[in-house]
Amino acid sequence: MRRADKDDKPTVYQRVVLKNASPHHYMKIHLVLQDASTRLSAVELKQFIITGLKSLYGEVGAALNFDLLKYDEDTLTALLRVYSRGLVKLWSSLTLLGSYQNQACAFRVLQVSPFLLSLTGNSRDLQLD
Amino acid sequence: MNMSVDLDQTPRSLLVCDWSSFLDDKNRVSSQVEQLHFNYKVSVLLPECSSAPAHLDSVLNSFSSFYLIRNLPIHELLDKQFLETAVYQGSVYGLSYRTRIDEDNCVALMPNGRLSLSLDKDSYQLLGVEGKPSRFSNRTNSRYVISIDLTDNSMAPGGRGYLRLLTGLMSRLHLTTDFLLSHHPGGGASLQPLLSRYDWSEHRPELHSHALTHLSCPELQSCDPHSFLEWLGAVDADISCENSSISFLSSLVCPEPKTTLSRVLRVSICGLLLPQDVHRLIQEIRCYLEQPQLESWLSLTVHGFVDSPVSWGGREHGVLRGGENFYTLLMFHDHTYHLHLATGAHDTCPP
Repeated sequence: MRRADKDDKPTVYQRVVLKNASPHHYMKIHLVLQDASTRLSAVELKQFIITGLKSLYGEVGAALNFDLLKYDEDTLTALLRVYSRGLVKLWSSLTLLGSYQNQACAFRVLQVSPFLLSLTGNSRDLQLD
Repeated sequence: MNMSVDLDQTPRSLLVCDWSSFLDDKNRVSSQVEQLHFNYKVSVLLPECSSAPAHLDSVLNSFSSFYLIRNLPIHELLDKQFLETAVYQGSVYGLSYRTRIDEDNCVALMPNGRLSLSLDKDSYQLLGVEGKPSRFSNRTNSRYVISIDLTDNSMAPGGRGYLRLLTGLMSRLHLTTDFLLSHHPGGGASLQPLLSRYDWSEHRPELHSHALTHLSCPELQSCDPHSFLEWLGAVDADISCENSSISFLSSLVCPEPKTTLSRVLRVSICGLLLPQDVHRLIQEIRCYLEQPQLESWLSLTVHGFVDSPVSWGGREHGVLRGGENFYTLLMFHDHTYHLHLATGAHDTCPP
């Protein structure tokens, strides 16, 4: 009976194309430190990125909203979310962050996408050995 | 002044959303699934479920095996015996492995018999076969794409085009790469003559399942596409949505209005996955959804290979920052579905 009802209802086909409409961008980053035994907590990492934004873009840059979605203290790998408008600012300040507590460091940007979902299915992670 | 404008820009991205029903004759799900040839990961979200139902489990476990050949000279793909046993009979799915489309030469052999080579400028000029500049390097022309139909008359063994490509690959450009290969419906038997000449290994797609409890879930029928995909990504990546808007680390929250699901099962499968297997899985999910149960939806996400030279329907694909080419199919028990197809900057519009 239910099926019959459904059949009577005209089925609709709707297609929408959204271009550059993603409100956020997502970044997968990895922090490389000179002394590999150094550990940062999630709060320290976020604070460190904020100091980078501040030194490059001043107080206005430091006020840029971004989220630390996920962080693995052992591998120093993190997922960030930022408003699409702030992506270039965040990315550039990550690139220019060169020292953490007087030791050399670098952020490796592993993947950037307007879809969080695509960060979970990167075929470059496929290991067959 | 101009500088601040430029800083706000991000490269192009596209999200195509289809809302329709499987009962609608004009629905194109099958062709949309079939046209994405090189699938890396399929992940399924089953609400109110703690272990995969037997039928779904058996489909997931019966995904075709694929083969990895080490250091395959690409001219072997033109081998007469290989063409006759594999390419002319059924569909071959072949993709160079661990080559990056923004740096290396990449090769794909599509099920329709089309060979696509994405080469840097030096390799392209060395090979001496006609191609086109990549759509995505318009100013520098540093990358070229050659697309050849191996089933075409001129490409029959001994033909003119065939000999030109073969000598190019054998004597001028010695293109050798690790290669992933799969065949439908023949499987390994059709590929055996080629495999036996090289160092090869067989791989089963890797299956993972993970049970989640007390998960916030948005109202799926009305949720906007980007919020839905963000929520789904958070579930897939094990990111908590239980934040407050003022917390320091993250303000990610589940879109409102929301409900709480007591149990959710997340199953994922990785490897070189055939569209035929994905299609079979979708059919099985539709049967599963017909049973009366607590929650009446199910979502399936398929990620394409980021370094494949082609995405949907053999159209050129590049990576730029993420190389995303994936789709999410959200199915409901009344046979309606929401299909979201997403691509990044170096891609054309999905079908």
